[in-house]
Amino acid sequence: MNTKPFSPYVPRPVTLVEKTKLSDFVTRFTFEQDNGRPLAHKPGQFVNLSVYGVGEAPFSISSPPRRTHNSFEIAVRKIGVVTSALHELEPGAKVGLRGPYGTSFPVMKFVGKDILIIAGGLGYIPLRSLLFYQLRHREEFNRMVLMVGTREPKERIFVDEIAELAKSADVEVLETVDVPDSTWNGNVGVITTLLPKAELDPGNTYVAMVGPPIMYRFVIAECRKKGIASDQIFVSLERKMKCGLGKCGHCQINELSTCIDGPVFCYTDIEAYQEAI
Amino acid sequence: MTTYTVYKEQLPGLFAKWSREHALYVPARLREGFYDLVPWRPGLEIAWEFDVAYNSPKRFLMPPHEPLITFNRKTCEAAPVFEAPRQILFGVHPYDVKAVNQLDQIMEAGAPDQNYMRRREATVVMAYEPLTVSSTAFWSSVGAANVAHGYDLYWTKIGPASFTVEVGSVRGEELLGMDGPLLPSTPGDKEGARRAKARILAKAHRLSLRYNWEETPRLLAKSWDSPIWRRYSQMCLACGSCNIVCPTCYCFDIREEADDQLEQGVRYREWDGCMLESFAKVAGNHNFRPKAQDRYRHRYFRKGKYIYDKIGELGCVGCGRCVRACTAGIANPLKVFNELWEEAAHEY
Repeated sequence: MNTKPFSPYVPRPVTLVEKTKLSDFVTRFTFEQDNGRPLAHKPGQFVNLSVYGVGEAPFSISSPPRRTHNSFEIAVRKIGVVTSALHELEPGAKVGLRGPYGTSFPVMKFVGKDILIIAGGLGYIPLRSLLFYQLRHREEFNRMVLMVGTREPKERIFVDEIAELAKSADVEVLETVDVPDSTWNGNVGVITTLLPKAELDPGNTYVAMVGPPIMYRFVIAECRKKGIASDQIFVSLERKMKCGLGKCGHCQINELSTCIDGPVFCYTDIEAYQEAI
Repeated sequence: MTTYTVYKEQLPGLFAKWSREHALYVPARLREGFYDLVPWRPGLEIAWEFDVAYNSPKRFLMPPHEPLITFNRKTCEAAPVFEAPRQILFGVHPYDVKAVNQLDQIMEAGAPDQNYMRRREATVVMAYEPLTVSSTAFWSSVGAANVAHGYDLYWTKIGPASFTVEVGSVRGEELLGMDGPLLPSTPGDKEGARRAKARILAKAHRLSLRYNWEETPRLLAKSWDSPIWRRYSQMCLACGSCNIVCPTCYCFDIREEADDQLEQGVRYREWDGCMLESFAKVAGNHNFRPKAQDRYRHRYFRKGKYIYDKIGELGCVGCGRCVRACTAGIANPLKVFNELWEEAAHEY
C-alpha cells in the first residue's frame, strides 16, 4: 500500500536537457520528466516550475502534447527572480514541476474550421503548442493563418521556425513589428494592422490569441468588426497564478480563478467581466 | 439533537483533562475592550462576556506562516509538511463558526488543500453563544447569527453558573463526557438557551443592513461604477489590516528559504492581502489592480458577490473586525453595502 502522504503543493523532479537562446532576453528550455512519463498536457495549459531556494512561477507550455515522450518545452523571458535563476541553469540541472494546470484551447471545436492564431510578443510561446498540435493533425483543419506581432525586430522569437512555417503551404504567416529597424523590410504597425490584410470567412473562423494585456481589447474589436462571433474567439489571459489550485486568490479576474477557470477562455464567457480584458 | 447541562464548577476538571491531549484555547480579556482566544491554564479567568476575539479563528486553521513542503536543492526532492496539532477552540461565536465553515468549503473544493484539511480535522470547535455584541458588529443582519453545523459542541450560558451544551459531533460528546456522567438538559434549561439567543439577537439588531442580505450580490452587480469605491479608497493606506483580521480572507502567498548550507529548504505560505499594492502584479511589473480603488472594490465584491456566487453565502459574516482595525476608517462593509443600497434605491 502506498502510504506516502499526498499534497498538491509538492512538485516532482524534471531535468533540463536543452537550453536555446531565442533573443537577448528569451530562452527556450527543454525538460524531461524524471518519472519517464509524458507531461500529458493540452495546448494552452501551464505548469508551475520551482527553482528550489528561489521560488516557483507559472509558465505556459510551448511544445505540443507528446504522447510517447517525457519531454516538454517552455520559453522564458528573463525578467524576475525565478526566470533569472532558470537562465543560470545548465543541461542536467533539476527543477521541480507541478501541473499541467488550467484550461486549454478547444481543439475539437476547431476541427474542419479555419483557424486564425494571433500572437503578440511572447504570446507565440503558448500558441506554439496549439499550432504544432494542429499541424500534426493538419488534415483535420481547414485554413490556418498565423499572425505574429513584435515590438522590435530584435525581440522576435522563434525566427527560423516562423520563417520555415511561412514557406510551407500549411500555414499562411503574416508578421509585423511596431518599430522597425534597418534589418526589417516586412510589415510595420501594431498587430491589429494585419487583420485587414487577411481575407477571412468569419462564420467559419475560430480565433486563438495570446499577447500582452493591452493587445486583447483592440484585436478582439478588430475580429468582431470582421464579423467573427464572440464564441469563436479564444484568449489566454495572464495573471499571477501562484498556487495553481484556485485557492490563493492572486489570479482572480472578478470571481474567476485564472488558474482553474482559465487561462484559456472563450470570449463569450468573460465579456461581462470588467477585470478580464 | 442531544443537549446537556453543564455547571461552571465542572469546567476546571474538563479543561484540565482536555488540555492533556489538546492545545486548549479559551476567550480571555487582554486589556480593556480587547479579547482573544488564548492558551488555557488553570486559574485563567474566562471572559464569558467577550464581544469579539480581535484575532479571527482562521489563524488556528491556516496560520500566518505555514510550511508546505521541504526540499533539497541538490537532489531536487521535495516532501510535504503537515502540521496538525490537536487543538480545541473553546468559545467560538456563531459568526466565526460560519466563517470556518466557509473556509472548509473553499479549501476542500477542487484539489483539496491537505494542509488545511488536516489541521481542520485535528481541531475541535466549541461554539459559544455571545452575551455581548461588539459595537461594530452586524452579524445578525448578514445571516450569520445561526449555524447549523461546523461545531463539535455549542455552549450557551443560561445562568450565572450554568450552560446548555448542544452536541454537534460524536467527538464533541466524548470530550464532554470525559469527566463523569452527563446530565441531559431539562426542558427548562433548553428554554433558557432559547431565551439567551433571543436576548443576544435583540441586542445584535442595533446595527443592521437596511435590506435583506441576499440582495447583496445583485446590488453589487449594479454598483461596479459607483462613486463610493473612489470616495472611500482615496483614504486607503493599502496596509492589509482588513485582510488580516477578516475571518473569511484566506488569500496567501507562497515563499521559500534555504538553510545556511543552501541545501535544505522550506517552502511556506504566508497570509497575503488583496488590498496590498503588489497583490495582482505579474512579471514585468504589470499590475492588474494598480489603483487603491480597484483593490478596495475587489474586496467588497469578494465579500458581497464572488463568494456568494460560489457557495450561496455572503463572504462577510458581520464580525466588524475590519471596521475596528482600519486606520483610515474606510473598511466598513455595513456602511458600504447600506450606502450602495441607498444609491440604488430608485431602482427597486
